Amino acid sequence: MRRLKRNRVGHLISKGSERVSEMTENNHVAVAEAPQSNQEQTEPIVRYRKVSKSFGDNQVLKEVDFDLYPGERVAVIGPSGSGKTTMARLLMTLEKPTSGTIEVDGRQLWHKEVKGKLVPADEKHLHEVRGDIGMVFQHFHLFPHMNILKNVSVAPIKVLGLSKEEAEERAKTMLDKVGMSDKLEAYPANLSGGQQQRVAIARALVMRPKVMLFDEPTSALDPELVGEVLDVIKEIAAEGEMAMMLITHEMSFARDVADRIVFFDEGRIIEQGRPEQIFTAPKTDRLQEFLKRFELNGSSS
Amino acid sequence: MWSWDFTFKILPQLLDTLWITISATIAAFAVAMIGGLILAFARRSTFRLLSWVTYAFIEFIRTTPPLVQLYVIFYVLPRYGLSLSPFTAGVIGLGIHYSTYLSEVYRAGIDSVPRGQWEAATALNFSPLQKWKTIILPQAIRPVVPVMGNYLIVMLKETPMLSAITLVELLGRAQIIGSNTFRYLEPITLVGLFFLVLSYSASRLVIRLEKRMNINHHGKMDAAA
Ligand SMILES: Nc1ncnc2c1ncn2[C@@H]1O[C@H](COP(=O)(O)OP(=O)(O)OP(=O)(O)O)[C@@H](O)[C@H]1O
Ligand SMILES: [Mg+2]
Repeated sequence: MRRLKRNRVGHLISKGSERVSEMTENNHVAVAEAPQSNQEQTEPIVRYRKVSKSFGDNQVLKEVDFDLYPGERVAVIGPSGSGKTTMARLLMTLEKPTSGTIEVDGRQLWHKEVKGKLVPADEKHLHEVRGDIGMVFQHFHLFPHMNILKNVSVAPIKVLGLSKEEAEERAKTMLDKVGMSDKLEAYPANLSGGQQQRVAIARALVMRPKVMLFDEPTSALDPELVGEVLDVIKEIAAEGEMAMMLITHEMSFARDVADRIVFFDEGRIIEQGRPEQIFTAPKTDRLQEFLKRFELNGSSS
Repeated sequence: MWSWDFTFKILPQLLDTLWITISATIAAFAVAMIGGLILAFARRSTFRLLSWVTYAFIEFIRTTPPLVQLYVIFYVLPRYGLSLSPFTAGVIGLGIHYSTYLSEVYRAGIDSVPRGQWEAATALNFSPLQKWKTIILPQAIRPVVPVMGNYLIVMLKETPMLSAITLVELLGRAQIIGSNTFRYLEPITLVGLFFLVLSYSASRLVIRLEKRMNINHHGKMDAAA
């Protein structure tokens, strides 16, 4: 499984931006049957171009270029306040970029074309493009007034227009996948954090997004509950169907799951590459410095 | 001295008007609930002028006596071609007055819904209308049900005011009986008892509603804002 993943990414990276292809120099592209990828699939599914974001005087993202390929799993690491969450929130349309463009599957996200010119997108346009993106939040944000089954089936009914039966069928399949199918009638307040986050993952998955964003999905959990959530994410990652952007402080998890690691600092991508390169041979001082902190407290186990 | 004979004689007349009090209360409260929601939305509008005009309207209505507003609706508007029956005028007058209070109650409820709920709804691609209907309002109204119930009871007790615009409700009927028979003790006591029973039933109803909502929702709200 790992090999297959690597192989595909080697293939993808070579077609990526210059910045990415720099990183390919010490790649060992494993030999395994490459997944069939047609021409469209090797186009990035998400493309950030010169994306900047400021909150007042505070420039949080600085002309970021970033590509994410279909099925690719990218872990985003970096110090607190470096802009990782903001990257994801811009793509989820929870925050509006100050400048720059984001493309999703060939379409502009925050702009639409009117007579060959890019104008700011309206809600209708955002609604069309946003359907490709899903997000899992640090604090789950389950709907407290709905039981678990309803939490997962409500959006397929209201947004995708599925029948109740169909939506619940889909929801149950997803809840089964995250190991929560025995709690259909329970309410979020009666679940542990780990259980809530697994439901939140099912709720995002059930919409079948092409890109899934995970913003520190285990940071709000008690240590003993982290594992169950990471296991679920690993399982989904192994299926390799969606592109995934995993913002995390769990370095060993990033290493195990990601095809590519992106290191953020002060609103810029400082370094990116394959996990083994990033963790064993970081090039920049800042990344070396950052990784040292994790070795010290031994949390890379 | 209390006369049981007299009491039983006037009871049917009072029971007749009891229905008017109840229906006026329910209708006016419905107006207040819907009007309050509209005001709450208009107040939140990003269109500054609308938001400002709504604010001014709410403040004006809240700071002038409802009786004056009823007079305007019932005695002044006909001059401008709008004649309403006492019942309709009363329902609209009380309804609008209380809609300004309820708009504040809605606002508090809406503000109490954590931002994460909005974001989760956006992430699932709910349309703005669906967001309000499915995610925000159900959570916004739940915690303010007791306050709304309280306004219902206050409003019930304000309905005697409607006799000022010739609507014969409970107290109005009692007064008429009193002035015709020179006996006030029984009719007024009965009216007091009726209001006691009505208020008490309304508050029981609200408590039951609250309980029913809480069965589905174990108190705790979403963790993070
Ligand atoms: N809504 C906002 N208003 C003002 N400033 C904000 C807002 N959201 C984020 N910021 C600021 O932007 C900067 C980057 O925040 P962001 O949440 O993207 O960082 P992060 O890399 O996710 O950090 P962490 O690891 O702590 O989650 C921070 O300085 C933060 O204070
Ligand atoms: Mg963050």
